[in-house]
Amino acid sequence: MLFRFDLKEAIMQLIFLFLVIAGGMGLSVEAGLLGPLGQQVGDLWATFSIFGVGAALTFLLMLFFSPRNSPSFFAQPGWQLLGGILGPGYVVILTLATPVIGIAMTMIGILAGQVFKSLVIDHFGLLGTPHRRIDGKRIIALVFIVIALALVARG
Amino acid sequence: MTIFMICLAVLGGALLSIQAAINGQLGAKVGVFRCAFLTFALGAVVTALLIFFFEPPQAHSLMDVPKWQLLGALCGVPYIVIMVLAVQRIGTAAATVAVIFGQLAMSMLIDNFGWLGNTAIAFSPGRLAAVVCLAIALFFIYSSNKPKKASA
Repeated sequence: MLFRFDLKEAIMQLIFLFLVIAGGMGLSVEAGLLGPLGQQVGDLWATFSIFGVGAALTFLLMLFFSPRNSPSFFAQPGWQLLGGILGPGYVVILTLATPVIGIAMTMIGILAGQVFKSLVIDHFGLLGTPHRRIDGKRIIALVFIVIALALVARG
Repeated sequence: MTIFMICLAVLGGALLSIQAAINGQLGAKVGVFRCAFLTFALGAVVTALLIFFFEPPQAHSLMDVPKWQLLGALCGVPYIVIMVLAVQRIGTAAATVAVIFGQLAMSMLIDNFGWLGNTAIAFSPGRLAAVVCLAIALFFIYSSNKPKKASA
């Protein structure tokens, strides 16, 4: 690593940082769209709108931008293809929860679940991820997220 | 009802991180876009099956609502692309924190102003205290991700 201040690289990093923040904002907008939509057309139809449009978009991305020689889905163990089964659960929950508890509380709850689950996955080395000892910093993070959740719930 | 919905949201987060762990490995082998396509396609198939057998008739269909309400996926898909490009540039730790920051800031804004047809929930001192707690949590998430990158 060079200790030379590279302005161009710093600007690139800053642009990517803002892009990622915008990406995170997009996730909240998605949740914000789902709640009212689900109340009009039904929760499952709202969920279908995400996966239907998403499948069409990612099909196009795959068709034009995927590396040409990547291995087939059928060459992978079956359980590694199960990620898509869990997605609808997440989206249905967004649709159900946001009208009742609001977007912020839903997002903080989601965050708590993610941090908790990633601690468990890492600790036991589940799902073929490398085994890692339980991480004190992430436990502290989880405690603060739970406090935040309680504060938002109390209003 | 509120407590039940919070528990559901936590469950949703757990589902999401299991999905991320599975997709991380699949994506490394078949490529990110193929992996994302499989995730969305499988999601669409599962949801279609559920609709066929369990969805009660609705007064409105997806074709009746204003088109902007169908744009949810246009917010989710760019997120995947941005993350793939950004993680190489700025690292996992910074990317994780930036995503959560964007998510939380936007969710507070949507709640406060009641954007997109949601019920408005005003920003309050309790919420401000929650933001402080979340900032501390983000700091610890950042520092827990940082050494991993160095050792990886």
